Formats: sequence, C-alpha cells, structure tokens
Amino acid sequence: MRSRETVEGSRAAAWLRRGGWMAIAALAVAVPLLAQAAGPDYGEFGVFGLDRRDAVWIAAQLHLLFAAFVLGVPMFAVVIEAIGIFSKNERYDKLAKEFTRLLLVAYSATAIWGAILVFFLSTLYPRFWGYLTAIFAPSMWLYAALFFFESFTLYLYYYGWDAWKKGASKIVHWGLGIMLNVWGTIVMFIANGWLTYMMSPPPDVTADTVPQTVELWSAINNATWMPINIHRLLANVVFGGAIVGAYAAYRFLTSETDEERAHYDWMGYTGNFIAIGALIVLPFAGYWLGREIYEFSQQMGITMMGGFMSWLWIIQAFLIGILFLAGNYYLWIGMGRIPGAERFQPHIKWMLLVLVLGVIVWATPNTMIADRDEIAAMGGQQHPFLGVLGVMSAKNTAVNLMILTTFLSFLMYRRANKEPVVPWAKAGTMIQGLAFAIAAVVVVFYGVYGYFVTAIVRIGFSVYQVAAVLATILFVIGIDIAMARGAKSRGEIRWGEMPPRSQYALLILAVTFTWLMGLMGFARSGIRQHWHVYEVIRDTSEQAFTPALGPAATMISICVLIFFGLVGMIFWLGGLAEKSVYEETGA
Amino acid sequence: MTNLKILFTVVATLAVFTFVANVIPQVQSAVPEEIVLSADMSPEELASIGEEVYAGVGGCTACHGLGTRAPDLVGVAGSVCAARVPGQSCKDYLWDSLVDPMAYIVDGFQPIMLDQSRTLTQPQLWTLVAYLESQGGEVTVTSDDFAAALAAADAAPAPMLPPAAVDPADIDPVQLVNEQGCLACHALGGEGGMVGPAFEDLIGQDRDYVLRGIVDPNADTAADFAAFAGTMPPTFGDLLSETELDVLVEFFVTGEVPSGGSDGGDGGDE
Repeated sequence: MRSRETVEGSRAAAWLRRGGWMAIAALAVAVPLLAQAAGPDYGEFGVFGLDRRDAVWIAAQLHLLFAAFVLGVPMFAVVIEAIGIFSKNERYDKLAKEFTRLLLVAYSATAIWGAILVFFLSTLYPRFWGYLTAIFAPSMWLYAALFFFESFTLYLYYYGWDAWKKGASKIVHWGLGIMLNVWGTIVMFIANGWLTYMMSPPPDVTADTVPQTVELWSAINNATWMPINIHRLLANVVFGGAIVGAYAAYRFLTSETDEERAHYDWMGYTGNFIAIGALIVLPFAGYWLGREIYEFSQQMGITMMGGFMSWLWIIQAFLIGILFLAGNYYLWIGMGRIPGAERFQPHIKWMLLVLVLGVIVWATPNTMIADRDEIAAMGGQQHPFLGVLGVMSAKNTAVNLMILTTFLSFLMYRRANKEPVVPWAKAGTMIQGLAFAIAAVVVVFYGVYGYFVTAIVRIGFSVYQVAAVLATILFVIGIDIAMARGAKSRGEIRWGEMPPRSQYALLILAVTFTWLMGLMGFARSGIRQHWHVYEVIRDTSEQAFTPALGPAATMISICVLIFFGLVGMIFWLGGLAEKSVYEETGA
Repeated sequence: MTNLKILFTVVATLAVFTFVANVIPQVQSAVPEEIVLSADMSPEELASIGEEVYAGVGGCTACHGLGTRAPDLVGVAGSVCAARVPGQSCKDYLWDSLVDPMAYIVDGFQPIMLDQSRTLTQPQLWTLVAYLESQGGEVTVTSDDFAAALAAADAAPAPMLPPAAVDPADIDPVQLVNEQGCLACHALGGEGGMVGPAFEDLIGQDRDYVLRGIVDPNADTAADFAAFAGTMPPTFGDLLSETELDVLVEFFVTGEVPSGGSDGGDGGDE
C-alpha cells in the first residue's frame, strides 16, 4: 500500500516532468518569435529589488548548475552500471539506477530554468537576444531537438532498467546510458558555442558586421569553444561525483538502519573518489583555456589574471585548498573503519602539514594591496618575502605536492586492509616510496630552479613538474594493482561505521565545488567587461560595469543556496520514490 | 534535527565564502568613458586620462604589473623617477623612458619595450607621464606641456601614415628591420632580442603566416614564445606600406635581400 506522502511525492515528480516538457515547448515557440520583436535595447525588471542583470544571472547560474547535474550524474551512472555489469556485482547496478531516478526531476528543473533564462534574455535584453538568434537560430533548433532525444533516451534508460536487466539486453541498456551521455554532451557543446562566441567572436566579426552574414560554424568554432567544452566536460564529472557524495551524505545522516548507512557510506566514498580523481586533471584543461584566452586577446588575459580580477584567483586557491583538505580529511576518517589502517595513522599529521603549507603558499597573493608609502617602502607591490611565494614557481610546486599527498592518502586507504603475498611485496613498496620521493624532488627542484631562469624557460618547467606527478601516479598504481593480486585481507571494511562529521565533510565538498563553479563562471563572463559580445556588441545598460568580487560572491551564494534547496527537494523526492518501491514490493 | 544541521552546514559554508570574498580588496570594473583632450586640463584630469591610456590603448599592463616582464609602476613610479638618473627631473625621465625605452631598461628586466611614440600621440604620452608621476609623486606636467603637444599633434596630424609606395628594389629590408626596432625583440644574424622568434627561423615559412605575424601578431603566437604573447604591437600594418610589407615578408621567408637592397649592413648576415 502506498503512503499518502509517497503519492504526493510521485505527483510532484510527475508535475515537474510535465513542467519540463511545457518549458521546452514554450522555448521552441518563443525563440524565433521573440527574436523578431523590435523595440528598445533593454527591458525593465524590478522584482524583489533585483535588476535585469541579477535576474539573468540567477536564471543562467541555476540553469547551468542543473545542466551540470544532468550531465555529470549520467556519466557517473553509466560508469557505475558498467562496473556492475563486468564485476557482476548487483550493488553497483542498484546505485546506478538510484541516481538515474534523481535525473528525471533534475531534467525538468534544467528545462524550466532554461526557459526562464530565455524569457528573461528575450524580454530584458531583446536587441542582444535578437542578435544571437540571428546567428545561432539553426543551432538552437537542433538544441531543442537533441534535448528531446536526450529526454526520451533518459526515460527509456530508467523505465527499461528492470525489463532489460539480463544478458544481451543489459548491454543494450548500457548502450542507452552511453547515448544519454552523447546527447547531453552535444547539447552542452552547442550551448557552449553561444556563450564562447560572446567571449571570443571570430576575428572578422566587427560591430558593423550584419549578424545574418556571420557563418554559423565559424561562430561556434571560436577560439575558446573547445577548451571550454573539455573543461566543462571534466568539471561535470567532478560535479557529478560531488553531488553523488552529497546525496549519499544526506541519506547516510537520515538513515535509520545499519544496512542503509552501509550502502550510503559506500556510495559517498565512490562519489568522492570520482570527484577528487577528476579534480586532479581539471587544472590542465584550465591552463589550456587560459592560454587560448591570452592568445585570443592579451588584454582579456591580463584582465583575467593581472587586472581587476586578480584577487579572484586567491579566492579560488582558498576554495581548492578546502577541497583538498576536506577530501583528505574524509579519507583519513574513513580509514578508522578499515582494519589495518592504524599503521598509517602516524603519517597523517605530516600529510596534513604538507597540505596546509601548500594551501598557504597557493593562496599567497602575487602583489600586495598597500598604500603608496607601503608600496614605496617595499619597492613595488610585491612584498620582499611573501612576493617570493606569490609567483608561479612556488604555486606550481605547492599544488603538485598537494596532488601527490592526496594520491598518497588514496593509496593508504586502498592498501589499508590488504596484506600483499607476492614475494616482491617489500621491494615493490620501496620502489613506490622511491617513486614518490623522486617526484617530490623533481617538483621541488624545478620549483626552486624556476627562480633563476627567465619567464619563458620557467613556464616550461611546470610541464616537467606535472609530468613527474602524473607519471608517478600511473607507475605507483600499476605496481599496486600487481601487488594486490591474491593479497590477504586484514579484515573487511566496516561500511557504515563512519562518524557523522565525515558526511558533513562530503556536504562541504559539494557546496564548495558548486560555489567554485559559480565563481569561475563569473570570471569567464566578467572578463568580457562592458561587452555583450567582446568588442562587437557593447553593453549600454546601467549594469554594464562588472561588479567587484564581494557583490559577485553574494550573488553566487544566493544561487548556490537556491540550487541546494531545490536539490534537497529532489533528494527528498528520490527518497519517497524509493520508499514507494520498497512498500509496493513489501505489499 | 539532522536536517537542520545539514542546512546549517550548507549556509555556514556559503557564509564563510561570501565573507572572505567581501573582505578582500574590492575592485569594480567600470565602463571606460570616452577620452576628450583639451589644453586647459588640470594635472588631476591629465593623470586620470593617463590611467585609462595606461590600462587601455597604451597596452602598458601587458608587461608592467606582472612582476616578471617589466617593473611594477602603479603606486611607485612617481616616487622613484626623480632619483633614477642624476640631474634629470621625474618628468623628463618618464618622457624619455617612453620615447627611448632601450636607454632606460631597469636592471633585471628584459629589453622588450618599444618606442611608445610609434603608437601613441604626444598628448597621450603626456597623460601617461602625468599618471605615472601621480603614482607616489607630484604631477608636474603642466597645461603648457600639454597645449604644446596638442598643437604639435595638430600640426602633424598623421606622422605615422605609411610612406608612398616605392619600387621594392629601393627598399632595404635589413634597414627597415633596424628602423622599426624589430631587433628589440627578434634576432637577425645573431644580434637582437629573444622575446620573439629569430628572423632566420622564419625562412621557409608560409608567406601568409609571416605576414599575419607582422600585421596581426596576436593571431598566432609561436608556442615557445607564449609567455610574451601580446608584447608585439599590432600597429605595423599601419606603420608600413604595402610594398614594405611585401619586401619584408619576402626577406623573412627566403632569407635573401632583394637585389638593390642591403649588402649586409647593420645586423645583417655578413
């Protein structure tokens, strides 16, 4: 028998799904009609004290966060389903399905916020919106069609889960999951074309260019399109893992049975593993994007890194420091439920020391804010001592050592309850230790050497540092896998025996990832400054200025709070739906 | 209770981030106003316009302020300029540094700056001097300096127009390279800077690529020189005539001086 609460939850979910479809239908009609409207450049908005830019900012940020949710979580689901298929472990299959259920409502939320964004853009920025549609209309129609395919594939994927559970049909079902990701990725790439055009329009497009004459492909395939595509793809994996971790933490903390706690403890670990693992490679995509921005426009690059946004990177370092510390903290607490992990406990304080020092160095500003007398006394804006830490040589060294330390935490966690039986186990461990030491020496050597060479040579050193760290990670994992063959167990992991503070660490990770996305979105959008389309369409509204970090941060926090409020509702609906399945099965 | 704790965790985390972002220095990027120059401007007005030139059309921030390519000037230039060269006033030092930068390279930095009078007008240069003086010092640029510069600019409205087309055989590419200050950054025959590729490295390259490198240098930055992207002014397309560009491109991609040109003069291959 279904409870009243369950029925209400299912109705709410169905209503949200219908809302999503209505939003898409409205979008398809509105795009061409509104784009043709002639009138003033800007519309008026004054609800809740928000101006037109605030309205578009909130709608765009929430649309993007839900879009990242519905792109990141399917990546997670399809990988987990594959692990379940090939390991024949049904636990993974159950986990993948649980997340796909959340997607149904999240898709609707994405579409609704997308429709709100389009309506805001078309009514508050009609001339600019008309300009964009004049160039991108065909891609917008394709976008709507792909959204349909994506949604339909999702329904097939979820509702066909139990029907296509065995044999070849399971592989077909997994293929649906892959298709879901393919549609989603193409949809994201198309939307990225629009927003990157605003940043880096093709060089032959000027203020006098008639938008109808701009070639669609050249507009999409602009200087920053592919770097943004790759950066967002990786970031979505991180985000998907973090959201999974947050969901698991929420369910763990509200669980009433040991069995549930064990399940969600394991889920939280898996989500965190994927999030931190993908985070480690994300900076490389960021470097590529930064380089393309510099190559497109030196002025834009300077604005981003050395101009009014330079302090944004200090905030970013602070946030990433929290991510590293919280991620490692979660692992270290988790070792408390692994028999044999106690032998690693004495090392943790040293790892914490490396991480804290790394964060301090990374967050040291390159130039100091000081009055004229202080600047004159320092001989410039760089502090005589701290200035040494505020340069890329020190920061690259710090972050590479932090990555190595985090990897060491994972390795300890993985090795905690295993006792290798291969005859070369001791030698293998020593070789692993040697590899860590060599990588650390290489990183520190090039970090110090970087102070004695020219900038152009120094930039090349970061490649050696990253290569040393990545090579060590791959080499050490290879040895570890071979060493773990036939290893004796020191005891099973006691899933579920985690103190609640570990779950709050997962929640903080998810909030921090989400806030970081908002901050980086502000950086990407803000470097256009007073241009709708950089050096092509000027923003002549009252909100043409780019806000300072404080007001921007307040806006980001509001968006993240709304997002987590809605995600909390999705999690709650997910819990109700699961309860209904349980009760129906029980009946 | 658990739900409240979760809510508190989310809100407290956001509050910390918001707080940190609000206590750091706040800089808002304002919309630049259109610059109108006149002879009766006060020193403060000149410095204010100079600040816009510094961050905008002057492109100064491409190198100054990064701490690596060129000295930081903001907040400090006006307090040290008078002591740089004995007997030279702050104003004169700053002016000369702008129009003859190679003579004033600060120790520890690379000789990559170009004569700014190639890309900026005299009035713009004076606003820059006023702005730099205001960074820790007193503005001594006067309306007389500025009025004279405006008059000079009016008298010679187009000093940078390309010369009339001439016979390519009369143009010496090596002399052109020297006149345009290319060797400040590029090497030819083992002489010159290392901020950009040596000209010998261009031999055999695609002509369109080389031409684009001259007239639109930010379009393709050689990978080895990415750190100096943006250093080369994008003004050579205006400074050089079409014929001069053709001769230069021919010289760069073939490595040969056309007949009638240089016999291997300054900086050329002997």
